[in-house]
Amino acid sequence: MGNRSSLLLREEEIAQIQEETGFTPNQIERLYSRFTSLDRGDCGTLSREDFLRIPELAINPLGDRIVHAFFEEGCSDRVNFLQFMQVLAHFRPIKKGRDNKLNSREQKLKFAFKMYDLDNDDKISKDELLAILHMMVGANISEEQLTSIAERTILEADQNGDQMISFEEFCNALERTDVEQKMSIRFLN
Amino acid sequence: MASQVYGSYIHNTTVHHGCQRHSRGANWYCNGRRNVTFLLFIMLLLLLLGHLGVCSGRPDALASSSSSTTLRTTSPPSGNQYYSDSNSRQFSWSVKGMDPTNEGDDRDVGGDSGVGDAYPSASSSSGRSPIPHDDSDGFEESSPRSSGPVFMPNTGDVQAAQADTEHNGNGDTKRYPVASVEFDRVKTPFIIGVWIFCASLAKIGFHMTPKLSRIFPESCLLIAVGVIIGVLLTQTGNMNVSPLTPDTFFLYMLPPIILDAGYFMPNRLFFDHLGTILLFAVIGTIFNTLTIGVSLWAVGQSGLFSCDTPLLEMFLFSALISAVDPVAVLAVFEEIHVNEILYIVVFGESLLNDAVTVVLYHMFEAYTEMGPTNILYTDLLAGFASFFVVALGGTIIGILWGFLTGLVTRYTHQVRVIEPIFIFVMAYLAYLNAEIFHMSGILAITFCGITMKNYVEANISHKSHTTVKYAMKMLSSSSETIIFMFLGVATINSRHDWNIWFVVLTIAFCSIYRTIGVILLTAIANRFRLHKLNKVEKFVMSYGGLRGAVAFALVLLIDKHHVKLQPMFVSTTIAVIYFTVFFQGITIKPLVKILNVKRAEKRKPTMNERIHERFMDHLMAGIEDILGRHGNYHVRDRFKRFDNKFIRPLLLRDHRGAEPKILETYSKLAMKDAMEYMRRNASTIGNISGTESMSAIFRNYTTGNINGNLSGTLNGSTSFSQLDSSTWNIDMQELEYNPSKKDLTDARIHHLLAEELCKPYRRVREHRRLSYSRHAVNDRDLSTQPVNYRMHMNIRRMVGERKHHHKRSKRLGKDGKQNHVSFPGITQNGSAKQFSHDYINEVLQESENDGDGTKSTSKEDWDSAITFTARTSHETHTSGNNEATKKPSQEMDGSTGTNAAATESARVTTPTATETMLPWKRDDEGESTCPLKQSEFPAWCSNKEYLAYSSPSATFLGGIEQPKIASVIGLFRRESSGSVQDSRASSESSLHHTSGPESPPAPGAVLLIEEGGPEPLAGMLGIPRRPPVGRRGSMLELGSTTVNSIPEEEATTPLTSPQNSPLSSLSDQRWMALGKGSGSLSRLAGRLSALVSSSSSSSSSDDSSNEDDEETDEKCAINRTQN
Repeated sequence: MGNRSSLLLREEEIAQIQEETGFTPNQIERLYSRFTSLDRGDCGTLSREDFLRIPELAINPLGDRIVHAFFEEGCSDRVNFLQFMQVLAHFRPIKKGRDNKLNSREQKLKFAFKMYDLDNDDKISKDELLAILHMMVGANISEEQLTSIAERTILEADQNGDQMISFEEFCNALERTDVEQKMSIRFLN
Repeated sequence: MASQVYGSYIHNTTVHHGCQRHSRGANWYCNGRRNVTFLLFIMLLLLLLGHLGVCSGRPDALASSSSSTTLRTTSPPSGNQYYSDSNSRQFSWSVKGMDPTNEGDDRDVGGDSGVGDAYPSASSSSGRSPIPHDDSDGFEESSPRSSGPVFMPNTGDVQAAQADTEHNGNGDTKRYPVASVEFDRVKTPFIIGVWIFCASLAKIGFHMTPKLSRIFPESCLLIAVGVIIGVLLTQTGNMNVSPLTPDTFFLYMLPPIILDAGYFMPNRLFFDHLGTILLFAVIGTIFNTLTIGVSLWAVGQSGLFSCDTPLLEMFLFSALISAVDPVAVLAVFEEIHVNEILYIVVFGESLLNDAVTVVLYHMFEAYTEMGPTNILYTDLLAGFASFFVVALGGTIIGILWGFLTGLVTRYTHQVRVIEPIFIFVMAYLAYLNAEIFHMSGILAITFCGITMKNYVEANISHKSHTTVKYAMKMLSSSSETIIFMFLGVATINSRHDWNIWFVVLTIAFCSIYRTIGVILLTAIANRFRLHKLNKVEKFVMSYGGLRGAVAFALVLLIDKHHVKLQPMFVSTTIAVIYFTVFFQGITIKPLVKILNVKRAEKRKPTMNERIHERFMDHLMAGIEDILGRHGNYHVRDRFKRFDNKFIRPLLLRDHRGAEPKILETYSKLAMKDAMEYMRRNASTIGNISGTESMSAIFRNYTTGNINGNLSGTLNGSTSFSQLDSSTWNIDMQELEYNPSKKDLTDARIHHLLAEELCKPYRRVREHRRLSYSRHAVNDRDLSTQPVNYRMHMNIRRMVGERKHHHKRSKRLGKDGKQNHVSFPGITQNGSAKQFSHDYINEVLQESENDGDGTKSTSKEDWDSAITFTARTSHETHTSGNNEATKKPSQEMDGSTGTNAAATESARVTTPTATETMLPWKRDDEGESTCPLKQSEFPAWCSNKEYLAYSSPSATFLGGIEQPKIASVIGLFRRESSGSVQDSRASSESSLHHTSGPESPPAPGAVLLIEEGGPEPLAGMLGIPRRPPVGRRGSMLELGSTTVNSIPEEEATTPLTSPQNSPLSSLSDQRWMALGKGSGSLSRLAGRLSALVSSSSSSSSSDDSSNEDDEETDEKCAINRTQN
């Protein structure tokens, strides 16, 4: 499979992806092989179903959202390899001394923020937060509790009093969190 | 083990005295000014007193001290004898005896063990009961040594007290002593206690001197104190006191520390870095052992040590010396607060290397015993295999016990008090269980703690959790204190075999190889780590490789028969420990500062962090899945799923949701908010509620009284039904009611409720008072119960809005509005209902408040107040003359008597609300029926103190005891009411929790709410007004008239259905309050029946004069009812 993928991937494509995402050619090839193995239809793009065919992802409470994040850039139904890589580039560990275009702390936070923000208004509303909580916490907890948790959370982060969490407020709320660590995957280094 | 020599604890009294004097003088002389010195002085004094106590019963022991030296010559020859002191029972505190060949010890043995002590074999003396240890006693001195065991057991216990009179052989008849001293019996626990006490005192001392504790870590100071004590004991000739035996250490002192470490281990961090930790713990320790051993051996070959250093013995020594010690690491690292990654790596290593150390140690010990020539390669393989057995076995045992603990605590909710003990005992059992199989006990107890934590904490109550936390910290910190102190004591008492080169080289090798090992291993680890360990961290890691008591205990375990160099090992180990604890421990703090190591920040996670971090976990797990790489996140995710699906449902009592941490954080934060709010506004709330409640009760009472009185004296049931189901409204104020006030009232209700919501704790106290079981700990505090989310939200909102209720304005507002609110039968508009409802709430909720504020009035008092109301009503309807004395505000009616009352009530057919409200206007009743102005409401009504103590309201607050028999009416009502009410009642467990006689009315109470809820006042007033005939009917009537307004009532309270009452606290609270209040209503009915059946009511002094009347009246009433 590795053979095939490297065959399919042209040099200039690799160069372009490397340019845009910062992955090394070796990583690109490895990820491309993963990409093609996910791509059941062999059409060079991934559909949502392709993603959700990964068993663990299917039972991940946030699986849908994660998949959705891949599709956010272009509005099409399918993701090509470049888009795939661009999303994954967010999870590269931060290297000192290099330019971290997509994997800076802010980009990582932005990515997470976007996953909350379904309606793209750059604010997390109570309902959006509630939706996420629903997914994560599950059914055993009453709606009331979840609502109050969501309210509490928003109140805690909300600085300008609009009952929403803007991106700045989001960043401030996670000021003490080691996002660089948390949102990095060693494998992508 | 064989090398353990049990020394004597027995000391020569006179020497002690000398010592005491000496030390006192010395202390005063040197630096008596310091706190520490003083404390140390006290400590030493007590310590010595403890020892002194041994002989305190024997005054003649003071006679001479010199004779002990003569006995020294008879002390046993050198070798590995067991010195059994006279009290060989005390196993755990028996002393690591020193080799008698040592001259210091030799002298000491004589001085200490005295007469019968220095027996060559432990077995011969082990069975003996305590022996007098006073060599100065002439009789004992002269007695043949062999007679000791024979002679002593018979008199063992009493002789301490009677020694001087009886042992001299002049009388065999024992006289009964007036008082006797018997120290031997309590000696072991006493000495243990004294040690602990002294060590803890020393600890206090350090923290009283900020200068000292800033420079030195606590461990250093404790060792120093230990040394001082050791020196003093040596000076006084008690050389053998070296309480730190391996068994004591491993069985009693180490487990608490490790359990504490495991239980409070940050799981996530630990498992995140597990790879690195294991690398260091396993590979690093093996590396250190081999390199140090080989190096020492190589140097030994050069003859530098001027003694034979066989390779295996060097390995044995290096095995024990190369292990980083968890106790020392904890002690030092907790003070320097390095960042958590650094901490967890070093500390985790120190915990997990135990398995390696144990295996290596036992392996080399066995090899040494076998001799180098006999070792087969299979032994090496077995050693290697045993590592896995020891490590994995210990871990598995620990995990199993951890799960078991979770399972046990699942069922402890009935016996909350014993919850904490399971955690300690089962963890300890895990430790011992692992030790049985020679597995790593440290690993077992660590993993037991790690495993049990999550499940146990979800099961046990909040109080138990606090108990566990503090008890664990207390145990671990005191045993840590004692360990370090004993290390100090042991230093002095040891028979040292100083080999300077060996010591210096060991320290050098330890430091060098530690550094090399860290550098090599971090290089490896960094390849796999996201967070690369940088140079500074490497330095701290290598510098933090402290050695401690584990090494010391292990070195004491070495069998001197097989390892001739053991004394040298002991000395060297102590030297290494001192070097690491003192030199490294002291310097690491400034170094950390200089190198600017990232410090840890202690904080609780905020809600956002909790949620978003969890969100990121899921995200990362998902990304890992997409990548097809199974990293940390994937494993954790998988475990969490498994945990949530299978383990948690099995081990947790109430398994709620997949994200307990989010809930936990939320409830913690909400709790904090509530507490904060309470703290800031406590006084305001108390005042407001207090006054309102009193006046409200009063008003309520009088209203009920008058109404009951009037209608009762009127022509029976007809007027009653009129009033009860009345839609009449002849109250002018009521008719003129201004709708705008509704909003005000709404606001007030809201504030009131919101404020009252802060009171769950008070209710706890009430319930507790009712539980008579000694072991019943009633902990229905917030955290164990499902958190009252709604309530916290409300409080938080209020905090956020910075609403501050001025009590002055509040009172004014109430005075303006409330009087006409209380008119019973008004169901015309929602606002009126609101008022009455509000009213009831105030009354009920605040009565609780009062009950707590002033001890005298309590829930029962409140109940009895209501009961009294009921009784007054009965008595008034039959004989109106009682009412004058009864009703607080009817001062002027006292003289009118029956006729007046009858006439006036005959005239006033329908009392206005104002009339019912203002009882002091009763004298106006005859003349006019016009409504009275609210401004005439007297000031004392809102004066709480006045009401509480000298106002007539105190009369009705004066308690009548509760009915002992369940309410017939209540029972009936329960039958008639649907099961809905029952279920609701059962949801209000607090009511059911109350003790026997109270509980039956509870469901009925809830029924009352249900029906009378919209119009609680009608309910309240209705009962007194019930006609004697057909009381039941009136109850039902009451219910029927009001039942249709339930939806309205629910609409007024912006709450969800009461079924999920724990969640919606507003409604919950209200329902509870109503439940209680109307519980008391039904209880008054119970009171009636109680009177019928027993006719032995114990009334308070207030109404004792009317008791007879009441009883008879009530009997009549009840009889009629039953007809």
